[in-house]
Amino acid sequence: MTRTRHPLSRRDWLGLSAAGLAGSLSGWLPLLAADAARAPARRRSCILLWMQGGPSQTDTFDPKPGHPNGGPFRAIETAAPGVRVGEHLPRLAQRMKNLAVVRSMSTKEGDHGRATQHVRSGNLPQGPIEFPTFGSLVAHERARPEDDLPGYVSISPRGLGPAALTAGFLGPSFAPVVVGGDGEGEGELRVQDLGLPAGVSAERARARLDQLRESEAEFLASRPGTGTRSHSAAYDRADRLMRPSAARAFGLAEEKSELRDRYGRNRFGQGCLLARRLVERGVPFVEVTLGGWDTHDNNFAQVKNLCDVLDPAWSALLDDLGERGLLDSTVVAWMGEFGRTPGINPCNGRDHYPAAWSAVLGGGGIRGGQAFGRTGADGKTVEDRPVSVPDLLATVCLALGIDPMKQNMSNVGRPIRVVDPGAKPLTEVLA
Amino acid sequence: MRVLIVVAALTAAGTGRAAPPDPQELADRIDRHLAARWAAAGVQPAPAADDAEFLRRACLDLTGRIPSVRDVHDFLADPDPGKRAKLIDDLLDSPRYADHFARVWRALLLPEAAASAEARVFQPGFEAWLRQRLRANIGYDRLVRELLTVPITADPDAPQPVLLRPEQPNPLAFFAVKEAKPENLAAASTRLFLGIQIECAQCHDHPFARWTRGQFWSQAAFFAGIERHGGNLFAPVSEAPGRAVLLPTTKKPVPPAFLGAGPSAAPVGPNPRAALAEWMTAADNPFFARAAVNRAWGQLFGVGIVEPVDDFTDDNKPSHPELLDELARAFAAADFDLKYLYRALGRTKAYQRSSARTHPSQDDPRAFARMAVKGLSAEQFFDSLVQATGHRERGDGRGRSPARDPFLAQFAPQGRPSEPETSVAQALTLMNGRFVGDATGLDGCPTLTAVRETPGMTPGQRVEALYLAALGRPPTDRESERMLRHAAAPRAAEGLADIFWVLLNSAEFRLNH
Repeated sequence: MTRTRHPLSRRDWLGLSAAGLAGSLSGWLPLLAADAARAPARRRSCILLWMQGGPSQTDTFDPKPGHPNGGPFRAIETAAPGVRVGEHLPRLAQRMKNLAVVRSMSTKEGDHGRATQHVRSGNLPQGPIEFPTFGSLVAHERARPEDDLPGYVSISPRGLGPAALTAGFLGPSFAPVVVGGDGEGEGELRVQDLGLPAGVSAERARARLDQLRESEAEFLASRPGTGTRSHSAAYDRADRLMRPSAARAFGLAEEKSELRDRYGRNRFGQGCLLARRLVERGVPFVEVTLGGWDTHDNNFAQVKNLCDVLDPAWSALLDDLGERGLLDSTVVAWMGEFGRTPGINPCNGRDHYPAAWSAVLGGGGIRGGQAFGRTGADGKTVEDRPVSVPDLLATVCLALGIDPMKQNMSNVGRPIRVVDPGAKPLTEVLA
Repeated sequence: MRVLIVVAALTAAGTGRAAPPDPQELADRIDRHLAARWAAAGVQPAPAADDAEFLRRACLDLTGRIPSVRDVHDFLADPDPGKRAKLIDDLLDSPRYADHFARVWRALLLPEAAASAEARVFQPGFEAWLRQRLRANIGYDRLVRELLTVPITADPDAPQPVLLRPEQPNPLAFFAVKEAKPENLAAASTRLFLGIQIECAQCHDHPFARWTRGQFWSQAAFFAGIERHGGNLFAPVSEAPGRAVLLPTTKKPVPPAFLGAGPSAAPVGPNPRAALAEWMTAADNPFFARAAVNRAWGQLFGVGIVEPVDDFTDDNKPSHPELLDELARAFAAADFDLKYLYRALGRTKAYQRSSARTHPSQDDPRAFARMAVKGLSAEQFFDSLVQATGHRERGDGRGRSPARDPFLAQFAPQGRPSEPETSVAQALTLMNGRFVGDATGLDGCPTLTAVRETPGMTPGQRVEALYLAALGRPPTDRESERMLRHAAAPRAAEGLADIFWVLLNSAEFRLNH
């Protein structure tokens, strides 16, 4: 786990070349990664737009016009010459200079649960190892104990089970704070249990929390260790999060009505706006879930509806981040657990398809305006540059300035890297 | 080499036993082992826990919930010097022992249920089966044999359903949830019952580990006949004896072989699963008893003698090798009686020490010089909240529990058991969430209502009752004074509720110490 303390030097390169490793990504990745992680410009936040259910790549970012698999949607030109997208993403098309489409995602899991775990943690379930989800890994690298806001916020993760939101062996300190989870109603996006219960005044809440601290001081002091330390740290952080200054971060009412309209007056749109508020205040990882992509039947009407939500929200997010000078310090990623069959089933739907699908990266650290990789004319196979989940996650790590080869101690007593060491980051996608 | 010595010793111990073994005798030997090490290392062990600390710990460890106020009263008032041993016996004989350990073993054997809603369907039936076997107190060897040799039909045309009624006792759940795949079954059973994580060798030989890919697949070969007829967890299964498993790279068949046994080992016979179960659970198996006693030790002491408890390798050595061997020997000699094992461990001075640190030399958790502070499983925590508050759960009529289920999902422990952590979201739920809110709200819970409304109690007695209900101990004089100040007018109405809130939110309530 020791590594050099200086930026990648010429001598390092020469040494690697001499050893014949410079051409092998797995050989030089650790050094490149360590280098990236030290560069201050690369300390970025991440917003993950999570498309629960598996979005259809053919109808969004990898259109196949003229082929029977293409379906009824047209492909439209974008601001990036040669890169075309589905007709229901017109606003994103105009912002394509900021986005890199990875059209060659290729995975093996076609089951929602396992694929979700795979894409979100970089690992398939493996015996007793409790793999953390990617947001927890980023929070672990970035969050500081003194921060008022959490390191990882998950907005509207409806339908995502506990396994998709677990901090695994990193421990619950790095688990997401959930906004608008299953337990919440359809109204404003709220952090579960952040507000005081009815009938408890702020003064009374303060008094009993003070009383708690005083009463348990002796117990905590007499039992030093993770259990007691983590308990009091969690209560301290919860207390800080409840303070008006921190709780305000979640208050969308402060935003101008016109801006809220631009994002779209729906759960996902407002979630994207909240994501901007949070990265603006230094939260390292925020994800916003848009569900409903499991379009086994009636695919086209459903995808159009989803795009009508996605396109304005994501576009407004990019513009808003740009206007506030945050776009270069924020990586925006878009993906689901897999893609959908290029072929159209008898119910006018598309089924699960992990073999060839698309993900999109944008914002800081990403060289936008390009499509990476290629699928064949029928969309069924990846014909150029297949990309695995670890490849994609390692790329995001490098854009964020995180060393993907860093090791964390796992619950089974073995160190495990942030991303699998076999990962080959997409250097062409990195700025 | 040690393995050979253990084998010899186990064989010797397994024959000619007469009287049932005395758990106290084993407990004393454990304490002597630990004390010898402390003397050598200059460790000053923590003093004995007081009765209340011991009672709460034993109740949580053996029955999965904190003691009731009455239990606390009775135990503290009992003058019998042998009351701790008696308490352990009583707890092991109560129905809650089987309830609790059925959940513990379910979590180990079907961890998939935590992550997958489909796998969760199997949970009630699997727990029901475990409960039934634990209530009958069958030997641990028999439990494992019964699990591994569940009958599966050989007829592929009429395959065996893996689930009939979800609540019906169903050991086949283990096979179903592992997708009936030989490699999954081999990995799980080897890790769980032998403490060997052979799954790392599934794809390639590990450069430093002892086990090879060939050995991994030769374990899978014991389950090679099992076939699932369909693409989901609920699909029926059949088993064709004699079918071979193929090495994924070369596609060559791999014959079944016992781990650590040479190629000349006895032939496996017509029923490979039965052969595996016999070999695994034999008194002279070099891994089985040691893995079992180490796991039980880890459950009670927070850290195993080998830690992680299911990772026996050459570079992960036991902290007390002789002790581990001796425990394994005694467990096998007692016909793998789990209650005997828990009795012996529970009777040790080591288990009965305070978790409060009194000297820096107690900081090494593997010296066992003070009791570890352990986390609570989600079930232990919820059931303890129910015990403390007197909450009565109303089902929604469809078999689900509106308060319990979300709680179990939110409070599932992660990470290492001896390093329990609390998340911000969990803290918020306990501070502001509905369960504690209702329990300490205007209407209160049965406990709070009784404490508030029982006539003739002094304020001090009311505070004491809340301490007994939540923490299983009376308050110290200073605590009582401080709480009474808080509960004094003008807050009298809210005061008791706030005291209860403080106790339920405290680390002392949240942890097993």
